[in-house]
Amino acid sequence: MNEQMALEPIGKNEYELFFGPAHPGSGNFSVKLKVDGERIISARADPGYLHRGFEKLMEYRLPIQNAVLSDRICIFEALNWNLIHAEAVDELMGIEIPERAKYIRVIMAELSRIQSHIIWYGVFSIGTGFDTGFKMAFGYRDYILDLFEMITGGRVYPTGYICPGGVRRDIPEGSEEKILGVLNKIDEMVKLEMMGNPALLSRVKDIGILKLSDAIRLGATGPVLRASGMKSDVRKNDPYEVYDRFDFEVPVSNEGDAYARYMIGIEEIKQSISIIKQALKELPDGDFVAKEFKKPKLNIKIPEGEVYVRNEISRGEAGMYMVSDGGTTPYRVKIRGPSFLHMIPVLEFLLRGSQIADVPAIYWSLNICPADLDR
Amino acid sequence: MELKIIPKLFKNLFSEPMTVRFPHESIPIPDGYRGEHSYDIEKCISCGLCAKICPNKAIEMIEAPAEYKEKYPKNYPKIDLGKCCFCALCQDICPTGAIKLTKNFFLSTFDKSTTIKEPFLDNIKSGTE
Repeated sequence: MNEQMALEPIGKNEYELFFGPAHPGSGNFSVKLKVDGERIISARADPGYLHRGFEKLMEYRLPIQNAVLSDRICIFEALNWNLIHAEAVDELMGIEIPERAKYIRVIMAELSRIQSHIIWYGVFSIGTGFDTGFKMAFGYRDYILDLFEMITGGRVYPTGYICPGGVRRDIPEGSEEKILGVLNKIDEMVKLEMMGNPALLSRVKDIGILKLSDAIRLGATGPVLRASGMKSDVRKNDPYEVYDRFDFEVPVSNEGDAYARYMIGIEEIKQSISIIKQALKELPDGDFVAKEFKKPKLNIKIPEGEVYVRNEISRGEAGMYMVSDGGTTPYRVKIRGPSFLHMIPVLEFLLRGSQIADVPAIYWSLNICPADLDR
Repeated sequence: MELKIIPKLFKNLFSEPMTVRFPHESIPIPDGYRGEHSYDIEKCISCGLCAKICPNKAIEMIEAPAEYKEKYPKNYPKIDLGKCCFCALCQDICPTGAIKLTKNFFLSTFDKSTTIKEPFLDNIKSGTE
């Protein structure tokens, strides 16, 4: 091991080991591990490396500018965060969203979810030393980025494509076929037998087991909670947009280990593909944005009130609380990132008592994003 | 397990690679891509909406230098591409379509001064010559 790494002796065989924040396997987030030989005695999450202060920034910007800003809460699922912000403003202003816009929003949010799950698969693979999986995942993700480029005008940042009132531009002609073509390719990737690779299985099976009672106690949501055996999905429990019109299943597993969590992600890709296909079939004609928001305006006032919206994003349950005092900018915005509880209590709990070599497997199996934790 | 690999191996050997050899070939850029701005000073009415909507304050309204002052007496947008997030709100809000985002994404540079788009020089040159 490199001598320059911070290794301070604590007890006889105890050392402090820093995982992150500039470690290639941790992604702008650090965990301080107290280790005894190979075994981890305690773990302490140390967030703050990626703090950008979105909540304060949003207080000084118009809703349409905040839509652009909301991309960057988590770059891997910019469109989902766009959607949450747009829903919060819509609900405060009481705007009637055109039907077509609702369907486009669902299609884009689900594409973003697939893309985020593919990244999860990629980083999880490279974290456990399975390079093929990483290259495959990022290769197939690019097909979805091509779609984003065609529809929103940018590969990674849609810059507020899902804006208050609808979406900023209509999906171009002929994109239905292109979306279906990409979905077939993703289907092909999911079917590849990468998941049965014995080298990967030996590193992730029965690692980091999270029991259902612990998952609920520590506040896990999304795939982490579902992998522990609870059927919980905001799209089913509290449907937003037009999710109640689609027929899809919520994958659940009872094992609660790293492998189960990651298989939930793979199952969710299949469900998202089916949702997009249904949405494309039912896609109505009409306007793609409400009349008030056809052209960006500088003087739209947000009526006084407060609202909390919650959405299911790929990492779990995300929410946005917005208060307005009747001005053109929100008075207060609070963002609830799903990674916050996964990265601090759940991660600390799972790392305690595990081996150093299992840290990346546990870390990435939680599908965490430092960006939406620190926001 | 090993035997399963062989047909896949042959399939991969003769299938096209996922990547493109970038300088020689590239993925076509779709319409509506948000790249470098193009600005037409003749269409501009100096309303300043682009500077007001810009979320990053990348657009600044400036006066023309002395030699053009007679022809262009108002304030015109100077765009700092270093601050720009390419959200295209300026394009959407522009009442006359003077600012448009083009497909040019080759914007990496070693010279910081090239990231600033002056409203006068480029436009006037192309207008007079």
